[in-house]
Amino acid sequence: MGLIKEPKNIDLSTKSEPWTENELADFRILMQEIKAKNKKRQLRISAKKQKAEKTDN
Amino acid sequence: MKKKKEIGLDFEIDKLTNSIENILTGEVFDTEIVKLNESDRKQIVKSDWQFDWINEVNDKTKAVYKLTTVNNPTIIQGLLSLEDKQDHIFMHLIESSKFNKGKGKVYFGVPGNLVAFDKGYEGFLAFDAKTTLIKHYEESLGATYFRGQRMFIETSAAIKLIAQYFKS
Repeated sequence: MGLIKEPKNIDLSTKSEPWTENELADFRILMQEIKAKNKKRQLRISAKKQKAEKTDN
Repeated sequence: MKKKKEIGLDFEIDKLTNSIENILTGEVFDTEIVKLNESDRKQIVKSDWQFDWINEVNDKTKAVYKLTTVNNPTIIQGLLSLEDKQDHIFMHLIESSKFNKGKGKVYFGVPGNLVAFDKGYEGFLAFDAKTTLIKHYEESLGATYFRGQRMFIETSAAIKLIAQYFKS
């Protein structure tokens, strides 16, 4: 696995601010969209696989 | 106007490994991530850390995890504080130990190991990043920019991170 980057002068010390209700609501909508897209993609892959198996048989 | 202090992730992912690597010797050490309970508080020396990790451990809404090498479970390499938001994980705090900071840091791979640890809710992990490092997180972690300093990691990026950091 390749080296991504190693800036030795940048350190790991991080604090996230709580997200606002609006931000969370928008994020949840976006999450649902991504999950739905992933599900569709998964179904497409499964269908392709099944089709390929049928053709092989 | 007083300039608002920017907070958020300020580390760069050094190397994607399934362990941590000694910078000087190149020696690789397998790691483990263990949840800290209130009774484990004494493992944290307050003066060794920038953030108040004792407070994090005491906060019942959060879960604190330590990253150690398998061979030396008493030496903490980094700490992570997460909150279960029921449909995603929120990363409150993440910090490398003092010997993994600055030009004299001992190991590569501590931040990446900790970030890759989140596995719940189809891998959705939300966090803040410093503005200057947003692009870096997009490239190294596969994180997605949301708005302001807000970023998140979604399923496909999480799968890649888990594959890179965790042995099955």
